[in-house]
Amino acid sequence: MSPTLEYYCPCQSSTPHPPQPNLPSSSYSFHALHNLYFCEECDAIRCNHCVMVEVSGYYCPNCLFEVPSASVRAEKNRCRSCARNCFMCPCCSNTLTVVPSDPPDDGDGRPPPIISATGEPPFFLYCNHCRWDSAEVGITFEKPTGLAAQLQKFEDSAPEALEFERLKEHFEPYLRASPSTSGHGLGHSHSTHINPITAAASSALARDIPGVARYTPHISARSRSGRDKNSNRHEVPDYRARVEIGSTGLNLGGGAESDVDFVRHLETVEEMATLEQRWGNSWIISPRASDLKPVRIPLHSKKSKRCPSCRHILIKPEQKAQSVRYKIKLVAANYLPAISISLPHMQAALAMLRRSGRAGAEPQDGTMLAGKTYPFHLSFTNPLYDPIQVRLHVQRALPPTSPNAPPDAEKARRPPFAVTLPSAAFPIAAFAEAWEYDDDEDMFGIDDDDFDGRGGGGAGRDARGKSRTVGVLERRANVTVVGGEVMISKEARGDVKFNMLVSYTYRSDDPDPADELGTPSRTQAQNRQPEMKTFSFYTVVDLGTIIVRDASGNDTE
Amino acid sequence: MDLPIYYVRGEYIETDTGNKVSRKATIAGPQNIILGGKTVIANGAIIRGDLRRTGAGHAVVISLGRYCLVGEGCIMRPPYKTYRGNFNYYPMKVGDHVHIGANTVVEAAQIGNHVEIGKNCVIGKFTIIKDCAKIADNTVIPPNTVIPALSLFAGSPGQFVEDMPESTQEMVEAMTKGYYTRFQPDPSLPPANTR
Ligand SMILES: [Zn+2]
Ligand SMILES: [Zn+2]
Ligand SMILES: [Zn+2]
Ligand SMILES: [Zn+2]
Ligand SMILES: [Zn+2]
Repeated sequence: MSPTLEYYCPCQSSTPHPPQPNLPSSSYSFHALHNLYFCEECDAIRCNHCVMVEVSGYYCPNCLFEVPSASVRAEKNRCRSCARNCFMCPCCSNTLTVVPSDPPDDGDGRPPPIISATGEPPFFLYCNHCRWDSAEVGITFEKPTGLAAQLQKFEDSAPEALEFERLKEHFEPYLRASPSTSGHGLGHSHSTHINPITAAASSALARDIPGVARYTPHISARSRSGRDKNSNRHEVPDYRARVEIGSTGLNLGGGAESDVDFVRHLETVEEMATLEQRWGNSWIISPRASDLKPVRIPLHSKKSKRCPSCRHILIKPEQKAQSVRYKIKLVAANYLPAISISLPHMQAALAMLRRSGRAGAEPQDGTMLAGKTYPFHLSFTNPLYDPIQVRLHVQRALPPTSPNAPPDAEKARRPPFAVTLPSAAFPIAAFAEAWEYDDDEDMFGIDDDDFDGRGGGGAGRDARGKSRTVGVLERRANVTVVGGEVMISKEARGDVKFNMLVSYTYRSDDPDPADELGTPSRTQAQNRQPEMKTFSFYTVVDLGTIIVRDASGNDTE
Repeated sequence: MDLPIYYVRGEYIETDTGNKVSRKATIAGPQNIILGGKTVIANGAIIRGDLRRTGAGHAVVISLGRYCLVGEGCIMRPPYKTYRGNFNYYPMKVGDHVHIGANTVVEAAQIGNHVEIGKNCVIGKFTIIKDCAKIADNTVIPPNTVIPALSLFAGSPGQFVEDMPESTQEMVEAMTKGYYTRFQPDPSLPPANTR
């Protein structure tokens, strides 16, 4: 495994500082740069955990038909409008094909991939991956078109479907009376969104079952919605179910005697439908594998994303379902320097392997020995049209250990390694369009024995003439490579993983009035011309696992 | 900081438009194959331009765009079917910035731009892969599957796993361009044909 570096989004934490890298919460808070967004308004990094997601369009992932939102509700989020009848195999989830009876053989034992309406009826749905076909469960069609409508009848007559329709009717007046919950109050957390159906259901549940709290996503209960719901909760009349779910007669799957009987007479495990095969169903279905029905393909959606605090749009895709373009795309990669990390000793070993003919050789896991010192390289690429100055810091603070941890454990938590980074700020030149297309340029980084070469300003100045590994190693185009060093103690175990604070100073184009509204990560140096601003963000660096050379610990060199 | 990917000089033929085709690849029916430029056909790859539609005249069987990679040991074979009693091959069209991992078999009808296909995959006949999609290593895509834009597929049969990030296009483009630049003759070795 190659060393990795990820970027921090502070949304999971109450402080601007990230969790210690050895904590499980760390991996949840750090992301690859390409997965992050940037809100210019808030001057902050956003991630997929914190952005607000809105559906901007639906489409069928199989026939790629774009489905208008209104009909999505009517069709219960399934592909039906398409003439090609999109169904999924209940056994393997492959897309099913409509085939006529006695499919003509095309040489490999499979029916022809494109149906021709000229075949013989009856038609059925066939899986060309696992060879399941709908005739097995008694579903055949007279015509190869309009299959969805034919199956719809069957689906809609299920007792559970009827019951759900009645429930919806029952709550309809209440839903119409309650104020719209969407689009209110800017500046609130995104969790204030409560689906009216959820609200109604939770209110009914809270009334009927003592001790069940109503579903109140935090914050929201504080103001408006709490009051609204209290005034409304008693207006919902009682609902009397017509069907007792779970005892819908003779059908399997309800947990009744017939189920026990079925399981008792199982001969092979394959007779039982797997959990996965039944999981996606809205209601209980038969556990018998031979009862599985073709599944409607659920629609996919295109999504817009908004900043959770100021609600500005960060991502807005083009309307067309299969377009990969965006009307708005504020991704962090356009604001923050891209940082990649490598271990020269690992790269040297890898280059050796590749030269010896193993072109596909992958970096190996755990290539750092306890008790040794290794240099590492950080390569910074500036996406901005202005040069930037970068400063690096290692986050040194230790996690508070649990109070009941034994002293040994306490000792083991001491950082088993020390990281040295360039202490001075270093420059990265501006991004220029032309560099992107310069294919002939040498972009293979540095020659290991040529550190003091091109533009290597401050390399190893503080190293008592011994090592020249820490400092700026190379500058070319909008890339600056700096060297760092990690000293691993003899007792060290586990991963060499640390948090690194990156601050970069750039020239600001426009004075930002929002600055007074508290953006702690960015500070202004008011008295300089032109106006300079600094933005800081955390990263986590994972250099890999430490190898312990000898279990007995008496390794010598 | 990525390492160069060296090959022995002379092992690859470089065309005017910068395509690099291994001498150890099998290019059948080259007159029916189009390479867009700066595309790499690796050692052991097999491209079946000879499997063309019956009938007279010149026909493009397989076309690949710019900055593509057909990995080591890949097989690119046009899809075929019997329609109204006639057996026929159909053309395969691959866009720009498409990487196909080692030992993958492709019988797709259409692959868009900025698509990554992993190692050891089987891409079934008449599969359509839209822009910026990704197929994970070891995935089997059954015939006639449609892979929507910006989606990741994995498994056997291949299934939708998640949406690809919004910056996929830029990332894949940077990756394919970087790969082409890094793919170069080993300066420390003499050309293969002099040894
Ligand atoms: Zn976040
Ligand atoms: Zn469809
Ligand atoms: Zn199947
Ligand atoms: Zn989906
Ligand atoms: Zn914002």
